[in-house]
Amino acid sequence: MHTVYSRINNVSAMLSTCIMGLLAAVSLSTFLFTADPKGTLSVSSIQVFPGNARRYANKNQDFAFVNFNVTADLTPLFNWNTKQLFLYVSAEYESKRGVKNEVVIWDRIVRRKEDAQLSVAGRNKYVFRDMSASFKNASPANYSLKYNVMPYVGVLTYGEAAKTTHPVAFPERQELS
Amino acid sequence: MSAYLQKLVEGKIDFEGQKLVERIARDTLIAATVISFLAGFALQSIRVTFGLFALFVVALSIAVVPPWPAYNRHPVKWLPAVDTKAT
Repeated sequence: MHTVYSRINNVSAMLSTCIMGLLAAVSLSTFLFTADPKGTLSVSSIQVFPGNARRYANKNQDFAFVNFNVTADLTPLFNWNTKQLFLYVSAEYESKRGVKNEVVIWDRIVRRKEDAQLSVAGRNKYVFRDMSASFKNASPANYSLKYNVMPYVGVLTYGEAAKTTHPVAFPERQELS
Repeated sequence: MSAYLQKLVEGKIDFEGQKLVERIARDTLIAATVISFLAGFALQSIRVTFGLFALFVVALSIAVVPPWPAYNRHPVKWLPAVDTKAT
């Protein structure tokens, strides 16, 4: 503490310990906030069309187009330690051989509490195709709205806010007229 | 000129001053941590927490880092020089 340099040294050492303590306290405080918001998700229409895979022009594939309606009030998830919410709608189905598939068809990042009132009539943002190039072996799919709470400091938490009440079957592939 | 500059950059303070600086720094930092956490938690804004903490740190640096005269109030009393030639 006898020179300016050693005072700066000492103060910064104590400072970094205090900052670590503060960050630990902030991340622990998140556990005090428990919220389990629920909403509704329904599929209004679903169609399957054949097309060509992007990479291989000769490979014929089935593409599904899903229109859905989702409403949810996710404002309880915003506390002081919430940086943003990552929301995604995913389709879960099984193939005939029992292989589970989960495909994310739509997502959104919500950064402010005001934007957390969700009311979306959307269609799949991302290409919805099956690994086996066809949906004929796919079981009826359950669509669910899931969220991921991203804090400023701390652990990521996940949850499910809405799910279709009945599984939605994939229709027969329609030929493009 | 260079001796003055050196003295300025070194910024020495006496032992009592060092004790005081240690106490001030430790108490202020612990208080700053607690106060800024509670204030941010109450107002539910993490910006308040870190903004308040930063203000505390800046104030502490100004109070503690420069060699203020208050830290030089108890200079070390050296004994008078002994004449080694006397036998």
